[in-house]
Amino acid sequence: MAEKHEQPPAGAPNRQMLRRALFLMFLCGVAAFAALLARLWKLQIVDHEKYEQMAIEQQLREAPTSAARGVIYDANMEPLAVSASVDNVYLSPAEIEMYGEDKELIARKLSELLELDYEEVLEKASRSGSWYVTVARKLEREQADLVREFKNEYGLRGVRLETDVKRYYPNSSLACHVIGFVGTDNYGLEGIEAQYDSALAGSTGRTLRATNAFGTDLLFSQFEEYVPGEDGFDIVTTLDSGIQFFIEKHLKQAVEDYDILNGAGAIAMDVNTGAILAMASLGNYDLNDFLAVSPEAQAAVDAAETPEEAQALLSAAQARQWRNKALSDTYEPGSTFKIITLSMALEENAVSPSDTFYCGGSVNVLGRTSPIRCWKTQGHGSQNLTQAVQHSCNAAFVNIGQRVGAETFYRYCEAFGFLNLTEDPDENLSAVTGIDLAGESGSIWWSRNTFCSPKNLSQLAAASFGQTFTITPLQLITAVSACVNGGKLMQPYVVSQMLNPDGSLAYERKPTVVRQVISPETSAQVRSMLEQVVGDPNEGTGRNAAVAGYRIGGKTGTSEKVSLEAQTGEKEYIVSFIGFAPADDPKIAVLIFLDTPSNESGIYVSGGQMAAPVVGRMMADILPYLGVEPSLSGEAAENMDVPMPDLKDLSRAEAANRLEKAKLRVRTIGSGERVTAQLPAPGTVIAAGTEVILYLGAEPSADREQVPDLTGMSYREARDALSYYGIYIQTASPVTDAEGQTVSSQSIAAGTAVDHGAVVEVTLISSDGSMLGRY
Amino acid sequence: MRYESARLAGFSASAEENRRGGFDSGFFLLVLLLLSMGVVMVLSSSYARAYYDPGGITGGNAAYYFVRQLIFAALGVGAMLLASRLPMGLYRRWAFPFLALTLVLLMLVPLIGVKANGSRRWLGVGGLTVQPSELAKLAVILAFSHMICRIRGRMRSFRWGILPFGGVLAVIVGLLVLEPHFSASIIIIAIGGVMMFLGGAGLGWFIAAVGAAGGALAVLLAFFPYASSRISTWLDPFSSSSDEGYQIVQSLYSIGSGGLSGLGLGRSRQKFLYLPEEHNDFIFSVVCEELGFIGAALILALFALLILRGYWIALHCRDRFSFLVCAGVTTLLAVQVFLNVAVVTNLVPCTGISLPFFSYGGTALLIQLGEMGIILSASRDILERRE
Repeated sequence: MAEKHEQPPAGAPNRQMLRRALFLMFLCGVAAFAALLARLWKLQIVDHEKYEQMAIEQQLREAPTSAARGVIYDANMEPLAVSASVDNVYLSPAEIEMYGEDKELIARKLSELLELDYEEVLEKASRSGSWYVTVARKLEREQADLVREFKNEYGLRGVRLETDVKRYYPNSSLACHVIGFVGTDNYGLEGIEAQYDSALAGSTGRTLRATNAFGTDLLFSQFEEYVPGEDGFDIVTTLDSGIQFFIEKHLKQAVEDYDILNGAGAIAMDVNTGAILAMASLGNYDLNDFLAVSPEAQAAVDAAETPEEAQALLSAAQARQWRNKALSDTYEPGSTFKIITLSMALEENAVSPSDTFYCGGSVNVLGRTSPIRCWKTQGHGSQNLTQAVQHSCNAAFVNIGQRVGAETFYRYCEAFGFLNLTEDPDENLSAVTGIDLAGESGSIWWSRNTFCSPKNLSQLAAASFGQTFTITPLQLITAVSACVNGGKLMQPYVVSQMLNPDGSLAYERKPTVVRQVISPETSAQVRSMLEQVVGDPNEGTGRNAAVAGYRIGGKTGTSEKVSLEAQTGEKEYIVSFIGFAPADDPKIAVLIFLDTPSNESGIYVSGGQMAAPVVGRMMADILPYLGVEPSLSGEAAENMDVPMPDLKDLSRAEAANRLEKAKLRVRTIGSGERVTAQLPAPGTVIAAGTEVILYLGAEPSADREQVPDLTGMSYREARDALSYYGIYIQTASPVTDAEGQTVSSQSIAAGTAVDHGAVVEVTLISSDGSMLGRY
Repeated sequence: MRYESARLAGFSASAEENRRGGFDSGFFLLVLLLLSMGVVMVLSSSYARAYYDPGGITGGNAAYYFVRQLIFAALGVGAMLLASRLPMGLYRRWAFPFLALTLVLLMLVPLIGVKANGSRRWLGVGGLTVQPSELAKLAVILAFSHMICRIRGRMRSFRWGILPFGGVLAVIVGLLVLEPHFSASIIIIAIGGVMMFLGGAGLGWFIAAVGAAGGALAVLLAFFPYASSRISTWLDPFSSSSDEGYQIVQSLYSIGSGGLSGLGLGRSRQKFLYLPEEHNDFIFSVVCEELGFIGAALILALFALLILRGYWIALHCRDRFSFLVCAGVTTLLAVQVFLNVAVVTNLVPCTGISLPFFSYGGTALLIQLGEMGIILSASRDILERRE
């Protein structure tokens, strides 16, 4: 019917075609879709949670919201450690690749700005699979701003900055071992920063947010969850920056004066509470750059032959400088321990102040083949108890220890916190104070059976004067504080308060009495005897620690490093002194120990000659700082330093009159009638009897003078030697014998050029023959 | 009366066409419905990619892909209406010239084609690109339908029922392999096979072909590590979720996290640069994520209805050519939908097949809508009720 058309109609589809089309219709229109729906059901309904979880894992970024780390304050709310915001710089190499940014340019500029290695930055910029490669951490604002400027100038998306926090220590190295530091990941690593890390850190909050594959926010916010962080507590410590400064200053000078080879340490404690007022350990380090070691150590590292050796040297030097000797080192305390022996003997009524002790230079002890020698080989002769303490007589203390008895002695050692008794009598014993600082070492004591053996009293004898066991300096000052504070053993601590971020009080540490060890009466006796050690200018072996106008008690210590001698045959010493003041009502105790003074310093190696004057100097600064009023009497008052009066424009006669009242001598220059200038300046405190200069119509010359070396000179010689140059002398040491007392240390080093009128502070020591000994 | 005259007017391209019947409005509405959903999904799926590509072709304009797709959809609907007005005879008359043109274009592709992702599949015309392989699919359907109508009873013989068809397929597939374009080759072979199957070729040949394909596949897997790695990625995409398996793993995350009711239109999270090809081959993953199982099933149901309606139209064609073209185009549609969804759900190994009416791509959309127009044209010639 359609033949006339070009394309003849093909007719209707045949049955086979229709059958096959129906088959296809079923296959493509029904079966295929049933399969797809089954598959979707499986994925979307059955496995929904699994895939959703996996998808969420990749979509959500957990961004920590940083919690501010708490400030560490000293007792006067001076900040010791604070946090500030800094920037980290990182690259997003994937975006550098994606936006075709110039890798070489980025590497060149960043290496310039941040002083990094060009190749290294380039390599980081080329890790195109990565979205986050750190280039520099904790940049200060100025450097970070340079990077920001560069990034914006070129519109770089692959260069990124993120905020981080950095810890700053305003006082650099001051109290470094107590404060400690935080590592790059903001975890506390040493000191309070480590011990109180979780309190300081607070809790990091986090933001969960859905992000695109670049890690940036979605265009609209959905699925965002915020868990707020909590800022850390501020921590108030018991440290007093002023005291800490004095302690460190004088300790440092001691290390220089005596050429101390193995470091030194000091602790200042509130005797009534156990609060640590200062704690120092030398050599110290700058908390802001805690990885840097001393120039000498760095020189040794640089001189190392292999990188491994250099690394080992560096690590060792770092560990050494981070070590808090005051509580990590143990030592044989030596004679300072006699305070403990004395206290227990008085408390047990084993001795009375009127008892007489005879010292013939040595004493035989059951169980020892050779007698124990007193430091004074010719012997102290007959002495009462106070004198035995003043003399630091070993023979007398061996006797006192034996009167106490080994078992009682051992029990008191436990009571004073030096050891903890256990069930096992053969076990060597140990104890710690439990101070809230990391790194405390434990003492080491003979087992009970060894110490208390009735057949061998040598351990007891040696322990009576502080040998054959080791304790930490912290344990000693804690126990001595108990001896002088009325008998209460306090637990030492450095953190007194924690403050909420709003400044309100979150936690307050109350002083903890561990136990009453001796009675207040016994304690008073001990105090007065110890005051005689320092205060008696004739018999006290601690007299070099005396400070004019103040009542100071204390005890020297010189301990031989026995184990070292056994190894090398060389005699090395730790010299120490523990002092407290005011002696009648103690507020503060100071212990210093100098590990291995050089034999070549010119000063006799002993606690009395070396350590005592240092504690004296510390006390001379600390006590006025604490507001303790000086009171003077007798000869000390006569020789007390005096302030220079203002004499300007006065007549010659009037000026001379005033100077005479001020116990100062005068030299005049010029021939006028009126004082036109004076040396030293008004108000300068100088030694009584010093010759001052008055200018009558003349002016002082502008020349500078070199400070002479005063060490070894008597006080009077030194005073006159200085005033000859128009330089003046001052001392905190009580001048009891202006000819006999010699200068052991001067505040301005010999050879330093100073202006006329400058004042040199000196430390005086008594070094007559009776004073020279290892006690 | 109207249908009778349409039937009498039959297969002429003469001015009598205005006496043809109306087209199948059910089929037409289904196409429009799917197309609208598709265009909306292009907007939803593509805007993150477009937004985050300020340095690329979109210039950071989030609606870039959507606007282009919308324009092509409008043009496509026009093309569909135009195609529906052309008489079937015209298609038959131009079947061979069209095939010849397609072959020429396919031959041009390896020479002057636009290269992307290691393959030359596109020809640039003005600012547009066109995949001749898309045209080849239609050309095969039209040419094979025409050939079957000519060969008629001799379809069972090898010489007539297999050889000419196989020859045409071999030439086309050969040209596609040069590009290379694996997925288009599969579809062309499939659609060619379906045409021969409808035309009446012996079933034995199909069994043999399936066997041969299986053998070839085995050889491929044994000797070409690339192919076998595809298979292992298919079997366990999570073992290589950062490289070969990345795409399919991301797709599974999208589909799976949609759940029953989905995250809501526009609220896909996976489209934020995690899921590659999210507005092209993997647009259905975004559909699943945003609209959930309910929405995905609804869209698949609409596709199923469209396909069933297409076969229904084919079965009602009173002319063998129209029947074959309608069944062929419908099958092509079904194969594409099935393979696309099967790929994104990891039911079959991954290969690039777009989802008709949904995937972004202007010229492909034009051609697909044109094909729908041909079915509509055929639908004008059928009687709604058999007498």
